[in-house]
Amino acid sequence: MELLTPRPQMTTLLTNSVLDRLQRLRIRPAGKRTSRSRGEHLSGKGGTSTEFCDYRDYSPGDDTRFVDWNIFARLHRPYLKQFHKEEERHVVLLIDASASMKFEGKLDLAKPLAAAFGVMGLLNNERVSAYTSHQAGDAPDRMPPCRGRASLRTLFQFIESVEGRGDAPLDRAVELLLRHHSGRGVCVIVSDFLTFGDLKRSFNMLFAAGLEPMGIQILSPQEIEPDVTSDLRLVDSETQETLDVSSSADLLNLYQEYRQGLENDLALLCRRRQGRFLPVSSATPVESVLFDQLRRQGWIE
Amino acid sequence: MNWGGFQALSHLWLLSLLAPLALFYFLKLKRPRAEIPSLVLWRQVLQDHRVNSPFQKFKRNLLLLLQILLLLFLVLAALQPFWRGGPGKNRRLPVLVDCSASMGALDKPDGVSHLAEAKRRVREMIDGLASDQELCLISFDNTPRKLTGFTNDKRLLRDALDQIQVADVPSDLEEALRLVQALGRSEPFDEVLLFSDGNFPPRVNFDLSFKLNYQRLSPAGPNLGITALSAQRAVTGGWDVFVQIEGSADAEGNASVELFEDGNSIASERITVARGRAQRMVFQVKGDHASSLRVQLTPDGFDSLAADNMAYLDLPGSRPLRVFVPKSLVTYRRALQGIRGIQSFPQETSDEASGAFDLVMSDRPQDMDLVARTKLSVGFIPPELERFVELGTNGSSVVDWRRDAPVLQHVQLADLMVLDQPRFAAGEGEGDLENAGYEALIYGQRGPLLVRKQDSDGVRFALLFHTDRSTLPYRVGFPIFVANVVQAALEQAGLAEALANRTGVLPPLTLAPGGRYQIQTPEQTTEPVTADDHGIVSGVAAPRAGFYSVLENGVTRRRVGAGLLSPSETSLAGVAQIEFNEQLQVAEASAVVKMDWPLWPTLLMVALVVMLAEWWFFQKKPGGWK
Repeated sequence: MELLTPRPQMTTLLTNSVLDRLQRLRIRPAGKRTSRSRGEHLSGKGGTSTEFCDYRDYSPGDDTRFVDWNIFARLHRPYLKQFHKEEERHVVLLIDASASMKFEGKLDLAKPLAAAFGVMGLLNNERVSAYTSHQAGDAPDRMPPCRGRASLRTLFQFIESVEGRGDAPLDRAVELLLRHHSGRGVCVIVSDFLTFGDLKRSFNMLFAAGLEPMGIQILSPQEIEPDVTSDLRLVDSETQETLDVSSSADLLNLYQEYRQGLENDLALLCRRRQGRFLPVSSATPVESVLFDQLRRQGWIE
Repeated sequence: MNWGGFQALSHLWLLSLLAPLALFYFLKLKRPRAEIPSLVLWRQVLQDHRVNSPFQKFKRNLLLLLQILLLLFLVLAALQPFWRGGPGKNRRLPVLVDCSASMGALDKPDGVSHLAEAKRRVREMIDGLASDQELCLISFDNTPRKLTGFTNDKRLLRDALDQIQVADVPSDLEEALRLVQALGRSEPFDEVLLFSDGNFPPRVNFDLSFKLNYQRLSPAGPNLGITALSAQRAVTGGWDVFVQIEGSADAEGNASVELFEDGNSIASERITVARGRAQRMVFQVKGDHASSLRVQLTPDGFDSLAADNMAYLDLPGSRPLRVFVPKSLVTYRRALQGIRGIQSFPQETSDEASGAFDLVMSDRPQDMDLVARTKLSVGFIPPELERFVELGTNGSSVVDWRRDAPVLQHVQLADLMVLDQPRFAAGEGEGDLENAGYEALIYGQRGPLLVRKQDSDGVRFALLFHTDRSTLPYRVGFPIFVANVVQAALEQAGLAEALANRTGVLPPLTLAPGGRYQIQTPEQTTEPVTADDHGIVSGVAAPRAGFYSVLENGVTRRRVGAGLLSPSETSLAGVAQIEFNEQLQVAEASAVVKMDWPLWPTLLMVALVVMLAEWWFFQKKPGGWK
C-alpha cells in the first residue's frame, strides 16, 4: 500500500511527471558558449579531459606529456595529442514580471517555462541564475548563480514568489541583469517583448557578454486575436496611458501585420546573435511548449 | 421635362434635427475602457493606420456620419419625393372598372379573368397613389355604382376594389359616363380612366366633356355560350325548345348540349360550332305540366367564360285559353271556333261565366270589369278615353294602320267601311291619347279606330267602332285579327311561348298578394321582397347566373333560374375605338397608365439598410466592416 502513495509535489510550477521528463533533457544552445571554469560542456578549444579530440604538430614549449610516443616511435616525428576541454555553461533566466504579464495567464506560463529551463540547467550541473523585472529603474530581483540538484528548491522558491507588477521595460531589465552577471552561456528570456525600448541594444549587450539569447514570447489570445467590436478606449496596464480605437478590419489587419512583424524582428534579433526565438500563446499548456514545440525546434534534447 | 418633385416640402424643417443629432453624438460619445497588457503594438498600428488611410477622419466619426446619413434618408422620405409616372399629374382621377359578364372571361386555361387583371392594375395605381392624388372607384355593368368618393385612403380604395365582382349582365358605358359627368360637377377633374374589355356598343350617345383614357384589356380566349333559349307551343300541344349556341370570333370546336327538365336529363346532343357561325337546335318537351328547363353547354376545349354555359327556362303547364265573349258577339265567337285550345265563355248551353279569364272580348262596358290580362272592347269608348274621343255616326274609313303591330299582322284594312265615327274631342289629339298611355293602331278619318294600352295589368285593345256596323266581319282579315288577339292573350297568359330568363332582372313572379318573401341568390345571399296587391313581385335584381329561390319563412316556395346572357357578352368582342357624339372618337390607349412613383418607401428601405449596416458594423461584426 505504501508503494501506491503518490510522491509529494516538489513545486507548484511543474508536476512531478514533467520534472521526471526534464531529468532526461538538457538545453541545446545554438552556439557553444561556456565559461572558462571547468564544467561539463566540451569547449571547442583543446583541454585536459579524457576525451580525445585531434593531433597536431609539436611546437617547442608544448607539454611533452601530451606527445603520442607510439606515433613518434613509428614516424620519428613528435605529434601532440589534443583533448576536449569541458567548460562550465551559465543558464540565465530572465522572467518579465511586469504588469503586462498578468494578463490571461502569461505569467502563469512564463514561470513554469523558466523553471523548466532552470531544472534542466541544474540537473546538468550548469550554473543557473534567475532574474525578474518589476519596476522600472529598480534592480531586478535576483537568484544568485547556483548549481546542482540541491539548488532546485531554491530555484522553485524564487520563481514561485514572482508576482506580476510594475512597468519595467525588458531592455532596461537586460541591462540591469548584465551588471550582476558574469559568465557565458544562454539567457532564457520569458516575456511578451512588448516594450517601447530598444531591444537591439540589449541583445547586443547579451551577445557581447557571452550569453546566447533564447527568447520565448508569450502573448495572450486577446493579443494574438484582439476582439475589437466597437469604439474602445484601450488602457495600458503598465503606464495607464489610453488610446482610442474603432472597430475596423483594416486596423485589425494592420495589427496582425505589426504583431507578425514584431515576431519576425525578435526572431531575427535572436538568430543574428546565434540565439533562438519562439512565440507561444499563453493558452498553450506548458507540457506542449516544453515537449513539443521546444523539442521539435531543437531547443532541448 | 418634369422628372418629379416633393409632395411634402414643408417637412424640410426636419433637417434641423441634424444639430441635436450631432450635439447628442458628441455628448453621448463615451468609449468603453478596455485594459490591455500594452499599447506598444496598438500605438504603432494606429499611427500607421492614420497615415495610410485617406479617410481616417471620416472613419473615426463613421458612426456620426452613418447617423447623419440615416437622418437624411428619413427626412428625404418625409418630404415624400416622387418620380413622375406620366406626362401630367392628375389630382383627381375617376376610375371606371367594367364588371360586366365578359369581364369574367379568362385569357387562358387557369388564367386570370379580365376583371382580375383590371383590379391588379388599379391596385398598382392605388399602391402608387400620392398623398395629393385622389381616386374615385366606379364599377359598372348595366348600372354604374360609385364605390368610393374621391379619396386617397388606400385602405378604403383597396376594400372597395375587392368588392367588385363580375355581374352576368351586359355593360352600359353610357350610364357610367353620365354618372362620372355628374361627379365632375361637384369635384372637377380632367381625365377619366376606363378599364374594360371593350364589350359594349362602339357608338355611345354621350357628349364627352373630359379626356377618356381607355385602357382596353387584352382579348380573352375562345368562348362558346348559349345565346338564345325559348320555347313555343307546338301544334301537338307540347313545346318546341329552341337553343342557339354561338361563340366568340376565334371559337370553334365540339360541345355537348344537354337539356334537363326539373333536374332530370331528358335530351342531349353533340354539336360542332364553326368559327363565326351559330348552331341552332330544337328539343321537344311534352309540356303536360309546368316544368323548369335547364340547358347545359359543355365545350370540349377551353372555354373562357363559364357564365353563359347555362340557361334556364320556365315552361307553364298546358291548358286551354279561357275567353269570355258575350253571345251577342256572334262573329267573334264564330271566329274563335276555328282556333284550337280555346274555351269560350259563356258556353252555348249555359250563360254561366265566372272566374278569371285570359281574354275578354265584349261590346258591353260592364264586361270590362272581368278579370283578364287581355281585353278587347268593341264599339264603345272606354271611360278613360271619353275625354279624348267621342263617337259620331257619320261613318268613317281607315286612313292607315300600324302594320307592324302584332295584333294587326296579316290584316288588310284597306277600303274598310265603318258606320261609326270615332273622332277626337275638340282640342284633343293623338298626343293627349299617348299621354293617357294609349297607342293608336288604326287611324280613321277623324280619330283612332283601334287603340292599345299595355301596363302591368295586361294589355287592353279598344275598337272604337262596332265591328257589326262595319265591313270588317266580312273581310278575310277578321278571323286573322281575332287570332292575333288570341295570340296576344296567349302571350299574356304565358301559354304561347316562353322565353329564357335573362340575367339582370328576374321576370315578375306571381305569389300571394301582400306576401313577404326572401329572395335567395346563387351566392346564398338573401333579399327581402313584398308582393303587391296582385301578388306580383317584380324588379328583383339577378346579377348572377343561377337559381334564385323565393323563400317564405325559410321554406322554398319557388325557384327561378336566370342565366341567359347577352349575345354580345358571349361574343367577347371588344371595340378598339369608342365613338361619341359630335364624331368624337376615343381609341384604346397604347400605353399602360402609370401613376407617380413615390420614392419614400425606397428611401425608408435604404434608411433601414443604413441602420442595419450601422448595427452590424458597430455591434455585431467582430472584425468590423471591410
